[in-house]
Amino acid sequence: MSGAGNIGGDDAVRDAAVRWFARLQDEAATPEDWAAFEAWLSASPAHPDAYERLERVWVEVEQPEAQAALAPATVVPFRRKSQVTRRVWLFGGGAIAASVAAAVVGVGLLSDPATTTYVTRAGETREVPLADGSRMRLNAETRLTVRLGRRERRVELADGEAVFDVAHDADRPFVVGVGDRDVRVIGTEFNLRRRAGEVALNVRRGVVEVRPATPGSAASVRVPAGRQFVHREGAAGGALSTTAPDAAFAWTQGQLVYRDAPMSQVAADLTRSLGVPVRVGDAATGALRFTGVLTVEDPAIVMRRLQAFAPVHAVREGDAFVLRRAGR
Amino acid sequence: MPEARAALIAAYMERRPDLLRFFSLRLRSEAAAEDVVQDIYLRISATPPEAEVRNPGGYLFRLGSNLMLDRLRSERRAAARDRDWRDSHRTVSGVEEVVEDAPADAVVAARQRLAAVVDVLKDLPPLTQQVFRMHKFEERSHAEVAAALGISRSAVEKHVMLVLRRLAERLA
Repeated sequence: MSGAGNIGGDDAVRDAAVRWFARLQDEAATPEDWAAFEAWLSASPAHPDAYERLERVWVEVEQPEAQAALAPATVVPFRRKSQVTRRVWLFGGGAIAASVAAAVVGVGLLSDPATTTYVTRAGETREVPLADGSRMRLNAETRLTVRLGRRERRVELADGEAVFDVAHDADRPFVVGVGDRDVRVIGTEFNLRRRAGEVALNVRRGVVEVRPATPGSAASVRVPAGRQFVHREGAAGGALSTTAPDAAFAWTQGQLVYRDAPMSQVAADLTRSLGVPVRVGDAATGALRFTGVLTVEDPAIVMRRLQAFAPVHAVREGDAFVLRRAGR
Repeated sequence: MPEARAALIAAYMERRPDLLRFFSLRLRSEAAAEDVVQDIYLRISATPPEAEVRNPGGYLFRLGSNLMLDRLRSERRAAARDRDWRDSHRTVSGVEEVVEDAPADAVVAARQRLAAVVDVLKDLPPLTQQVFRMHKFEERSHAEVAAALGISRSAVEKHVMLVLRRLAERLA
């Protein structure tokens, strides 16, 4: 707007743009809504100007510091807890922790220990030392919450993957809640993943017990070192198998290890690990099986290596890489 | 052909002229609109078989609008990279400073704007913060946010509007 200042007309236009923007962001907006929006845009040159400014604001707000400023969601897909303070640690771009006191569901008990939420974005992994001497290493796109209570050390893995190196403390079990299962340990090292409704546990040292989050609703399973336990959420049981345990931990060394995995999974992992969208171009490509080791480094190099190992072409489309079956 | 993709392609064929007109208006260029509308086709033809689209016509407009936002994002990233680069190289090549706008100013301005964004978000009512987090950062639809928080859809829209209005007041 050409230096018109903050007269009432500007505010009215801005508010109208805000209404349009909010409505059209929603998937329920119909073609008729879009046509009405088009009419509004054409009505005055000030309208598209105001709308474009909102678009820039919408994109500008996508910064980790901005997300960290917001109260954390209390309706994450794990059980709610009353708490006094919450903290969110958002990594990346040298971002520092933001501590946010927030009114949350339920009434906080004064004796309740603080809950801390850790979030990693695509393309980053993080080492998190805990006050009890345990360590966690978070893979990309992971969100988990830690609460070190006097009776129990509890982590809720909302989504993602992490290695836990748990300090021994017989009086205070270390429990990781993951969907409809609790993983209980005394002192051990294990990798735990929750992605798309599937939970996978790999134990490197010690013994880990997996129990249903609701006691008695399913059998408990003891998973010793060198074994893997895979459970689909909602299912009664799970599969215990012997795996090369190091494969599950390879991501901590910047490697992705696959044995006969579908290309769609490789693409999803690369998207997370590289922080660059990697897609399969069609279902046939997604169904290709891949066996091999990929080192996470410059995306272009990773794509070249993938092309050498698998019958795919990687094509750059905008920000993303699209994988297509070679020779077609 | 999976149903969602077929429905989207049918809607695309029917609405292609509308899309072109709409994006020509938005982009102030027919050529740029052609690019976006072509891009929409590429995206919908790659629709995964398990996809479910209830409102194909509306989806096409939203997809194109999101592609426009993606461009804004790329521009922002490029600008940020330039700033970082100039910032870190300026002292080294101090004599050769030929950049038009003073880079230090751009960095300061970006920082100030971010501080304003953080201010605005922190001052929002807690429920509004939650709605905005879920919709914007967890990419849930208004209906999903409404269901998760036990509020109405129009309430969700109002919370989102409040955030946008406050941000626009400070930034736009």
